[in-house]
Amino acid sequence: MIANLTSSERQQAFVLAVGVVLAGGAMTILGRSDTLGVHGAIVMLFAGVVLYLIMSSFYDPEPVEDRESSYYDDPIKAGIVLSMAWAVFGMFMGVWVAAQLAWPDLAFDAAWSSFGRLRPTHTTGVIFGFGGNALIATSFHVVQRTSRARLAGQVSPWFVLLGYNLFCVLAVSGYLLGVTQSKEYAEAEWYADLWLVIVWVTYFVLYLRTIARRKEPHIYVANWYFMAFILVVAILHIVNNLALPVSWGHAKSYTIWPGVQDAMVQWWYGHNAVAFFLTAGFLGMLYYYLPVRAQRPIFSYRLSILSFWGITFFYMWAGSHHLHYTALPHWVQTLGMTFSVMLLVPSWASAGNALLTLNGAWHRVRDDATLRFMMAAAVFYGLSTFEGSFMAIRPVNSLSHYTDWTVGHVHAGALGWVALITFGSLYTLVPALWKRERMYSAALIEVHFWLAIAGTLIYVFAMWNSGIIQGLMWRTYTEDGALAYSFVDSLVAMYPYYIARAFGGLLFLIGAIVGCYNIWMTVRAVPVAAARAADVPVTPVAVPGE
Amino acid sequence: MADTYHRKLERSAIGLVIAIIAAASVGGIVEIAPLFTIDETVEQAPDMRVYTPLELAGRNIYVREGCYACHSQMIRTLRDEVERYGPFSLAVESQYDRPMLWGSKRTGPDLARVGGKYSDFWHVAHLTNPRDVVPESNMPAYRWLARTTLKTDDLPQHLAAQRALGVPYTEEMVENAARDAYGQATPDTDFAAGVTERYGDKTQVSAFDGVTTHVTEMDALVAYLQVLGRLTGAAFEGTAAPEEKPDPEG
Amino acid sequence: MDFDHQAVVAFSKSWGLFYLMALALGVLVYTFWPSNRKRFDRAKHSILDRDDRPWQK
Repeated sequence: MIANLTSSERQQAFVLAVGVVLAGGAMTILGRSDTLGVHGAIVMLFAGVVLYLIMSSFYDPEPVEDRESSYYDDPIKAGIVLSMAWAVFGMFMGVWVAAQLAWPDLAFDAAWSSFGRLRPTHTTGVIFGFGGNALIATSFHVVQRTSRARLAGQVSPWFVLLGYNLFCVLAVSGYLLGVTQSKEYAEAEWYADLWLVIVWVTYFVLYLRTIARRKEPHIYVANWYFMAFILVVAILHIVNNLALPVSWGHAKSYTIWPGVQDAMVQWWYGHNAVAFFLTAGFLGMLYYYLPVRAQRPIFSYRLSILSFWGITFFYMWAGSHHLHYTALPHWVQTLGMTFSVMLLVPSWASAGNALLTLNGAWHRVRDDATLRFMMAAAVFYGLSTFEGSFMAIRPVNSLSHYTDWTVGHVHAGALGWVALITFGSLYTLVPALWKRERMYSAALIEVHFWLAIAGTLIYVFAMWNSGIIQGLMWRTYTEDGALAYSFVDSLVAMYPYYIARAFGGLLFLIGAIVGCYNIWMTVRAVPVAAARAADVPVTPVAVPGE
Repeated sequence: MADTYHRKLERSAIGLVIAIIAAASVGGIVEIAPLFTIDETVEQAPDMRVYTPLELAGRNIYVREGCYACHSQMIRTLRDEVERYGPFSLAVESQYDRPMLWGSKRTGPDLARVGGKYSDFWHVAHLTNPRDVVPESNMPAYRWLARTTLKTDDLPQHLAAQRALGVPYTEEMVENAARDAYGQATPDTDFAAGVTERYGDKTQVSAFDGVTTHVTEMDALVAYLQVLGRLTGAAFEGTAAPEEKPDPEG
Repeated sequence: MDFDHQAVVAFSKSWGLFYLMALALGVLVYTFWPSNRKRFDRAKHSILDRDDRPWQK
């Protein structure tokens, strides 16, 4: 981990780790009669392990070669491993909570394992743990390669990566302890939120400084998406999480937004977290790894620019479609609906751009499961953005809202788009980073692909069915004008679908485990002896004169 | 001109940053800013009271257990919802809610007007094991709530934090928060009188979980569930409500 | 000027639209500006140059 750091950088890392240990100690003391104290201990433990890793090789020889002549890949490798670990954790939690809906006794009568506490560990585990680590790792990779420059920091990439994972650990362990704000996708409490702000600002500065060092005159569009992701997530996170702690010794806080304003801010956040975390960041992956894997330039670079600004602009307005027919003012609902429909244009422009890039290379999509992952991701992206715009239309929303249809839609995007593009990108990235000829087993990628596709389809079809049945049962009237079904009737109708959903999720989880094994075996394999042609340093002639 | 302008914009990454902020945040601001003046248009509810300390503690348990993941507290302006759950929710009804718990998914029914629909005894039995009362239910059992003593000593701090954010708790309410929480769940003690004195005589004082010797988390959660939709009668004014206005006394 | 709710809503509704149009125009001009074509073409192809080291000045 620190073999590539000079002795003064090792000291910096040491000071940082000690600082975090001390902060954890302060939390432990201030919150000794509260769950905050438990979190203080977790912070100390986490930072203590990092400290041990730093100290254990503190006096190892310093790096001798000029580090500026190589890319900084160590944090990326760690990020990939962490991302896959979180994937298995988060998806396992997902299968568990899904099974609890069908068999409620699977909570085993404990507080920490009840549905309401486990559910955010699933959402945080997959969105922030799996997705976030994958985004950090790939953004570090893409920004270096497209800028032809090394990351602008030696310690800060590690700080970003490990700090971010500390946030994830605090969030997930907090839910199990009952520490939550009950704001969807922003459940972590005030101190974890503050910590994330520090980490995120470091991430932003690091990214910006690396781009400023670029040798290419133009900033490649993938970086635009990553930058929008970093920047807007920071804004969303800060605004939505403004809260007043009960005291410095309490984990509990109260949001500064009351009632209807909180609803608007929450869904402005919630929807844009989907936009800038789960869409913009992963589009950054798509615009780099898809052309690289296909060995074909993107179909239209201009189209990618237009859809970038379209997405950046339109998404911000769309959040209020989560609040149709509620106490939110009518004009805000209408505005949200309009922009949600308009959003289809830039979304389909991106999906179409990706698919047209592959046009003429379909034989490669057929033979290469990694490329097929990315192709399928683009298709699911197109489908789920269409579905999203459709569901934002008020009359459709009156049926779909509060039902499993929403859950199905989210998973069409999360499994079909986010996870598939991530797996495709990681299978492209892993052999390149660890300097292997290829992944350990192409057959296992194939197995993973079909498990993922089967799992996603079973899941999404189960939820479409259950959601629409549920929505229709709620609004069905008998001939004498009375409601035809009680709520429990609609719940009983859901059970077969809940079982099917848990099975679909299980297939997806098995696929992710197969992926972990494949990546692990690739990393363990013997590096290719002869340097690949690509390893030859670029001669000065190749540097553009511009 | 435009060319050199854009070239500059792109050459420095800062330009791109500013452009992204302009494109992304202004839209949100334009949409959200009017909501800060919304109190001018929101209906008034002079009869609305704040949560009692016990109800607030119950609400915090509702938050802690993530109940919002399966239960909404927002009745939409749709005929079937109004007939199933009661008058549609008004913005003013959640004015003291931090966070709001409108929810996004109904694995279980909406709870915005569940207060008073069932007896305390029913709620305790249902929370202890939902399948004893509703055999088809897939809700988790919350047996441990009745075993866990409610933490009341820091309730004054909770009320003070709420007051700092603008919830109209009086100094007296803050000071007596812990005693009031105890009193609301122990009807025959001296503490009970203070609750109705401070929060109005419509406040339900009851041995929610049937045990009067000490206050448990079950007491708090049931007290909260029983007040849902009953802090104000505003939603029942002038709407074609299919139900009677709730009468907390009855 | 008095910022009552109606005024803020009216401002949002009208200037929000102008803002949308101005931004769309700006983006279109940038994207289709003739002299930008070369840079975009280069960006499009340059990510396919395989190299494993940062460029040195």
